[in-house]
Amino acid sequence: MLLRARFRIRLTYDIDAGHTMLWACLLLPHLALDGVLRRHPTPHLPLVLVGGPQQRRVLLDVNEAASNAGLHPGQSLNAAHAILQHFIAIDHDPRLDERMRRFLAAFAYRYSSMVSLEGDDAIVLEVEASLSLFGPWPQFEARLREDLNALGFQHRIAMAPTPLGACVLAIAQDGMAISEDEHLRNALGRMPVSLSRLPEKIITALNATGIRQLKQLFALPRDALARRFTPALLSHLDRMTGVQSDPRELYRPPDVFEEHIELNYDIEHHPALLFPIKRLVNDLAAYLAGRDGGVQRFIIALEHENFPDTHITVGLLSAERDGARLFDLAKSRLEHTTIPEPVRGLRLIARELPPFVPAGRDLFDERPALALPWEALRDRFRARLGSDAVYQLNLHPDPRPEKTLRITPQLKKEPEVLLLPPRPTWLLDHPIPLRDYDLRILSGPERIESGWWDGGDVRRDYYVVQTSQGQRAWAFQPAGVNDGAWMLHGWFA
Amino acid sequence: MVRVTAYAELHCLSHFSFGRGASSARECFARAKKNGYSALAITDECTLAGVVRALEASRESELSLIVGTEITLNDGLKLVLLAENKTGYSAISRLITQGRRRSEKGEYSLTREDLAGGLEGVLVLWIPDKAPNPIDGEWLKTLFPKCVWIAVQLHRGPNDQARLNQLLRLSKSLNIPAVASGDVHMHVRSRRVVHDTLTAIHHNTTIAEAGAYLFPNGERHLRTRKALSAIYPETLLAESIRIAERCTFDLAQLKYQYPQELVPNGHTPSSWLRVLTEQGYAWRWPGGVAPKVLKQIEHELQLIAELNYEPFFLTVHDIVRFARSQGILCQGRGSAANSAVCFALGVTEVDPARMNMLFERFISKERDEPPDIDVDFEHERREEVIQYIYKKYGRERAALAATVICYRSKSAIKDVGKALGLPLDQLEQLSEVFSWWNGEADLSQRLREQGFDPESKIMQRVLGVTRQLIDAPRHLSQHVGGFVISEQALYHLVPVENAAMPDRTIIQWDKDDLETLGLLKVDCLALGMLTCISKCLALLKEHRGIDLTPATIPAEDPKTYAMIQRADTIGTFQIESRAQMAMLPRLKPACFYDLVIEVAIVRPGPIQGKMVHPYLRRRQGLDPVVYPSEELKAVFERTLGIPLFQEQVMQLAIVAAGFTPGEADQLRRSMAAWKRRGGLEYFEQRILTGMTERGYAVEFAKNVFEQIRGFGSYGFPESHAASFALITYVSCWLKCHEPAAFTCALMNSQPLGFYTDNQLVQDVRRHGIEVRPIDVRFSDWDCTLELYPNNPDKQPAIRLGYRLIKGFQQACADRISLARQRKAFFDVEDLCVRADLNDAHQTLLADASALKGIVGHRHRARWAIQGVEKQLPLFGDVAVRDSPVSLPMPTLGEDMAADYTSVGLTLGKHPLALLRPQLRAQRCERSRDLLKRNHGSQVRMAGLVTLRQRPETAGGATFVTLEDEDGMVNVVVWQNVGERQRRVLLESQLMVVEGRWESADGVHHLIAGRLRDLSPMLGSITMPSRDFR
Repeated sequence: MLLRARFRIRLTYDIDAGHTMLWACLLLPHLALDGVLRRHPTPHLPLVLVGGPQQRRVLLDVNEAASNAGLHPGQSLNAAHAILQHFIAIDHDPRLDERMRRFLAAFAYRYSSMVSLEGDDAIVLEVEASLSLFGPWPQFEARLREDLNALGFQHRIAMAPTPLGACVLAIAQDGMAISEDEHLRNALGRMPVSLSRLPEKIITALNATGIRQLKQLFALPRDALARRFTPALLSHLDRMTGVQSDPRELYRPPDVFEEHIELNYDIEHHPALLFPIKRLVNDLAAYLAGRDGGVQRFIIALEHENFPDTHITVGLLSAERDGARLFDLAKSRLEHTTIPEPVRGLRLIARELPPFVPAGRDLFDERPALALPWEALRDRFRARLGSDAVYQLNLHPDPRPEKTLRITPQLKKEPEVLLLPPRPTWLLDHPIPLRDYDLRILSGPERIESGWWDGGDVRRDYYVVQTSQGQRAWAFQPAGVNDGAWMLHGWFA
Repeated sequence: MVRVTAYAELHCLSHFSFGRGASSARECFARAKKNGYSALAITDECTLAGVVRALEASRESELSLIVGTEITLNDGLKLVLLAENKTGYSAISRLITQGRRRSEKGEYSLTREDLAGGLEGVLVLWIPDKAPNPIDGEWLKTLFPKCVWIAVQLHRGPNDQARLNQLLRLSKSLNIPAVASGDVHMHVRSRRVVHDTLTAIHHNTTIAEAGAYLFPNGERHLRTRKALSAIYPETLLAESIRIAERCTFDLAQLKYQYPQELVPNGHTPSSWLRVLTEQGYAWRWPGGVAPKVLKQIEHELQLIAELNYEPFFLTVHDIVRFARSQGILCQGRGSAANSAVCFALGVTEVDPARMNMLFERFISKERDEPPDIDVDFEHERREEVIQYIYKKYGRERAALAATVICYRSKSAIKDVGKALGLPLDQLEQLSEVFSWWNGEADLSQRLREQGFDPESKIMQRVLGVTRQLIDAPRHLSQHVGGFVISEQALYHLVPVENAAMPDRTIIQWDKDDLETLGLLKVDCLALGMLTCISKCLALLKEHRGIDLTPATIPAEDPKTYAMIQRADTIGTFQIESRAQMAMLPRLKPACFYDLVIEVAIVRPGPIQGKMVHPYLRRRQGLDPVVYPSEELKAVFERTLGIPLFQEQVMQLAIVAAGFTPGEADQLRRSMAAWKRRGGLEYFEQRILTGMTERGYAVEFAKNVFEQIRGFGSYGFPESHAASFALITYVSCWLKCHEPAAFTCALMNSQPLGFYTDNQLVQDVRRHGIEVRPIDVRFSDWDCTLELYPNNPDKQPAIRLGYRLIKGFQQACADRISLARQRKAFFDVEDLCVRADLNDAHQTLLADASALKGIVGHRHRARWAIQGVEKQLPLFGDVAVRDSPVSLPMPTLGEDMAADYTSVGLTLGKHPLALLRPQLRAQRCERSRDLLKRNHGSQVRMAGLVTLRQRPETAGGATFVTLEDEDGMVNVVVWQNVGERQRRVLLESQLMVVEGRWESADGVHHLIAGRLRDLSPMLGSITMPSRDFR
């Protein structure tokens, strides 16, 4: 189960007309790749990031080793395989990108209270206000670079009076810093239109008319441009050059619920902990209700003296906020936890707070009030026994008897119903020799010849036999052979 | 000891039950014969598509065939229907037709109502399900009194004994006899591997997930009688023999009748054909018919009458007459087409007097084969002819022949890989490996190159199954144009089903099946060159005041032949390919018959039979023309003693090896099929002994046989070559005398031929014709001719049409032309409004530089259309002010790139002319300069790759055509170089070749030693290349 990442954003900031601002742009050209590499055990081996439709998967980005071997972004995966036999191909996961952006925004937030995302690959932060703390700019910039290097992100940094301007500069030339509006306009004028961060369609349209540099674009009559393109084009240019202000959505760190209870006495036994836990859980429920959200997973930390905290993690399949239900789950998890040391205090931490979607309740609900819905039952099992202790048996219609049962962790509400030939009640995991000199054949042979496709081809003649003890057994001989060397595969009830 | 009982298998599917049967009828019959079966029924599911092959297999194995089908009604009742006699066969065929015609292609739908009237002459096996309903049995018994059985099919299931007892009880209580049958899906047990795979493919899943559909074991094969005797009671086996003995139907009994309605009252087919022929005299021989021709016609009519072929000639005449009345150009070809009668009837334009051909060679009494006439029509108008046929004879009586689409290596590997669970991207790669695989090169090496381990278990499995699947039928498709027309409804002969195309119906047999059964088909084929010729003649009439038809184009024109000898034949019919153009300067065609030879000689048959060089040497006088005997001189004189045509091979077998004409025909068919089925050994023996008996040297006889084998399926008949040669001549004459109109018509008939518009335009410009760009002030959808007002006799200029703009639509082009006729366009706004152009079309026009005449260069044009108001201006003529701007001119390179992207050609400089300074720095020569180099010099040349071709006959060599600013150069890449530099060879757009310059007889080749890819130099220009297998 993947947790939904969320980010809280305050809509805009107040514009202080008189106050000049300076924006730094942290451009992250390899955000997705770096996000993978920084956690990868062998980042020095050729590695590529792959995306696109199944039929035509292409390389989105490649690391240095892969690039040296001749792979490049845009190549089809097939072509890449033709060039290099062995490389690591990782599927691009946009959710990871999102986490990385959130992570880096939080990092930038340490340096500025005005942090904003610019497109998918850049973060802008207002630095004028922070210069007194971290400046002057060259020092500030060096510090940012040092941090980003340590975090493992390739980057380009530029500074300008406008966020968009800083971005364009960062794309064009790493390390540019401009603090005057008119200098910015000149510098931007020399840039190709293709770097302007205008929509691709507009860039193509402009290029088609021979307009390649921003200078040319600035020189065109505004009415002619307005007539041809949406007003967004002019607004974009104005925000870039600083003619117009650029109100942006600002990043705000995510919400976390964290409550603490200090106990006045040591508790050594479960029952005594229930009360304080109930309180914490109820507080959580209230908080959840207040923000109209649910909780996916929370941690109860039991604090000891001179001993690391004991963590009890309570996970749910879907977001919940009902206090009684949450307490129920917490309680059952607690019962399975050994308490190594007396407890001095309690903390409840909930970081994963997705929106809550209430289950549909029918006015004429016929379920007995005490019956647990299937999903709740499963949660309770999982909460009590651990997530990996609950699985389901599914029938799989493989002709080979030993392959007809499969264990699947995914729990389907209704297992498939299959018509199978009569099979013994107890099927042995592995056939074993059956030595009985007084076997009586009751029926058969039933011939099974199958399984070549996974290398497990079998060819057997099965019989229902009665042993000298009178048990009914399911036994086989190799197909077409009748030499009395029986293998036992199961017992009938 | 088990007693072995006689047995006939009555329920057996061949691989024509697509996705179910895993063996061919041939395999099944061979196996059944070996097992000592008394008969074998082929009962493919609701189809008779495989019965003719089954008949052939039955004849070969000398084991009787029972024709039948397995059907499952919509309510699940499953039956096997067997044809007891001809009536029963027709009933089955009709039932299948009903079931198929009301369903999508590949499916059928039948209900109890369809059987309600019973089926006369049909024996029914009831295939009961797990819990048979006695009511079904009662119902069947009433419908098919004394003709229904309960099929007992035991396959080592969970409890065979119980099943047997259950069915025997049922049989007794219903008083319906029971019979043993095998529900056979494969000929031997080991085919279960293929069967499992087909099952998974059929259900669109992997084998591992297909469990519920798989058979638990391989018992559904043709089991030995010993094995059957161990399973079934003797009486059940014996019953199968009784049923088999009742089925006396033989497919060979089918009689086909030509449609009769073309003969007016008071006439016999014979007298009416004579009337029509005589009506043609005045038209064809305005000066009177020469006595020799009259004699020939008399002779032909007599032969036609003897063989009762009049209705066939009348049918073809009727179709041709319709086409002619609609102004659709057509041309007949084939064994019977080039007769004096067909000339008089207008089926062909080949005047028999022009050729020294004898009609017997095309129709022969002894061979008793149906006459063969293919008619080619203008490709853009053939559909009118097809719909005419459907309308005239009705869908019950006319249908297209089927084509059996078989698994090729590429499709097989893809399906098998998918069934075995390979991921999609790997499948793509695999099929890539197989797409250029000709079965010879080292497959393991290719697989490794693509990152596969050919030794791995999974790969071994994939390859193993794939090998068994290749050439197995996959589905039925429609034949390109072969019509079967019959007097009675077709379902008396063969079931009719729906094709994928709406409004098309096909019979379930392909052309080989028809031939085997002696059924007649008329091929209505589409030929692009006829469209081109038709359009060219229309242009000449309109612009040049010249009124010509293919028949009135001056024959044997020396200027035309001179052009052909120079190999100046780009765009002409048949002799425009690289190989043909390399042959022309050597063969130097100087008369019509030379063209016939030219058309036939550059074919895989003569090339593989190693006949080309001996012929050339004799023709050039380097080798003496000798004949092995006096009789053979008569056969081979016209081809200087070398067999070039299919007819000659047959003739040779008759004259030199003592074949009867019938046997010679057998030989011809085996030649066509030996690659697929083998089976020429018998003829080898016959030819060797026959020839040595008649005093020919063994060496010579062996040589002859090798040549025959080389001909394989590609031997080209003289009769077809003659008709083609005529079209070739016409196209060459037009190119020679009216190059502007000819090229214009070619471009208006695309796609056809070998060359792109770009190459055609370059060629015609080299001939001094002006080509003018697309311009909204002058262009139409089609390319047009523009006369020079001061010099109307000069070859006109060609004005390119909108059809060249990628993505443009004709309706839009027509609106522009119409609006322009009313009033010339004032500006872009005016154009867009009056011609109602949407954004996409405006952009296409600007990108194509078609607005240059009203606003200037591309940048300005695009700026202008970007400024066109999206809605009609509120006040009609009030000009909307737009601030003037200055935009940079596009550079030469930009314009060129845009030209290629938009219209696929440029009238500006050739890309290589722009790159020439860089190329000179790399010491690459121009192709113009290469022509001056000596034979054998080392050279280096760069060019755009316009063609990559790897003919099967070339022994692994790849032919590449490179184009630079001067023209084209032919490059030969031998296999070793090609293998070494495979990627460069396959991926380069701009290629540098270093190698040896070869030059002889006016033919030049560059033999590649090393290749280099310079494509990055091209930047954004993308060049179209045509890759041919």
